[in-house]
Amino acid sequence: MKKTMYISLLLAGCVLGIMLALQFRSSTSSVPHDRPQELTQELKQLEQDYQILQAEAADLENSLKQLEQGSSQTYEVLQNELQKLRFAAGLEEVTGPGVEVVMDNMPEKERSGYDPSVFSITYEDILRLVNELRAAGAKAISINGQRLVATSEIRNAGKFIDVNLTRLTTPYTIKAIGDPEKLASSLNIKGGIVDTLKEWSISVTVTPKEEITVPAYTNPLDFYYAKPLKEGEDE
Amino acid sequence: MKIKGYHWAIGLVAVLLGIMLAVQFQMNSSLQKNLSSERTEKLTQQIEQKKMALEKLQARVEEMRQKLDEATARPELGRLKVQLDKVGIMAGTVPVVGPGIEVTLNDSNVALQPGQNPNLYVLHDEDVLKVLNELKAAGAEALAINDQRLIATSEIRCIGPTILTNGNKRLAAPFVITAIGNPDTLYNALFMKGGVAEQLKDWGIQVSASKMNEVIISAYSGAISYEYGNGGDKA
Repeated sequence: MKKTMYISLLLAGCVLGIMLALQFRSSTSSVPHDRPQELTQELKQLEQDYQILQAEAADLENSLKQLEQGSSQTYEVLQNELQKLRFAAGLEEVTGPGVEVVMDNMPEKERSGYDPSVFSITYEDILRLVNELRAAGAKAISINGQRLVATSEIRNAGKFIDVNLTRLTTPYTIKAIGDPEKLASSLNIKGGIVDTLKEWSISVTVTPKEEITVPAYTNPLDFYYAKPLKEGEDE
Repeated sequence: MKIKGYHWAIGLVAVLLGIMLAVQFQMNSSLQKNLSSERTEKLTQQIEQKKMALEKLQARVEEMRQKLDEATARPELGRLKVQLDKVGIMAGTVPVVGPGIEVTLNDSNVALQPGQNPNLYVLHDEDVLKVLNELKAAGAEALAINDQRLIATSEIRCIGPTILTNGNKRLAAPFVITAIGNPDTLYNALFMKGGVAEQLKDWGIQVSASKMNEVIISAYSGAISYEYGNGGDKA
């Protein structure tokens, strides 16, 4: 009698203790583990952007200083600015380190596993690949010699794609300028786009290059709808 | 009587043990939390500081770009000014105004059945890419998402429920895409039968658009890349 009482009380006490402990634990669940990591990444990106912007600010300051010195230099300064903008807009050929990506459909006989007709390259695959390259910091990108600018489309055209209103056929050669290692690893990452495409029997080769040339955008530069916003009109 | 005294004593000890356990657990987890949250706090603080500094620098760069722009407002530089404006629209450094369209995207409001994959019913980066691509194909001359001007190098990265673009700009839903171009063409490109809007609606993603007589798209606020094209020095 005495012993069973003893044991049951002890048991009840222990259960109570554990319940209390669990209660406390769940109410103080800690921050997800990867949050500091994510923040570190964000900070790094900000620092990088800051540096680049600082260089740009210095450059602009320099231009303005030259302007103040006299109107004789105005033309030259603005010409410089124009040249800079042309590079940013994609109107100049660019050479630098980067990667070359070649995408092609395998012959239908060699495709395995899936319905071969379904899994050929679509514009969506290229859209995704280009986006990955941009996210990895690509400065300039071209597909089969068509430079991608702010308004470039990658349009579905049956077995082909249209870029800058120009029809392109396989194999698609995508050239991107940027940090070769970063660009390549963003595509080759496990479970990334190269993995997925290979699963669909699309052949993709990624080659880092020390020097690669991305051509300029050559279509006419006409804006029918967009007008520069003048000061004072701002909302 | 004696037996009852025992009871109380044992009960008390058991409860004490329980509380001790609870406190122990709590201390453990709060210790962990403190370490992690201290780190998070510091990082968040640094990020805030960097963001503020970046914003200041961006304002300065914009101001200097404007000053430079004012310097071109002289009659003898008329031709150069036209060039600068055109290329600036393409590069994204010139704010623009014109007719266009405003597209709003939001996550699905479909009530999920147990066992369904919620991931399929959430807005993905691909969805946003497709909408942007369709607008470009329909002749959009300038594009922005949540007031972030999209340029040749802009990426769309989904991180949790937010979108990261232009390196460090974090956007939250709803995502509002503004585009300048022919409003009818832009609208029809999205909402034609079998078009992008229909595809997205299959997944319950909310797409709506309105044609606008006047859309204002602000300038790209980051640095324009000239790392690989320093007026021809490095290129």
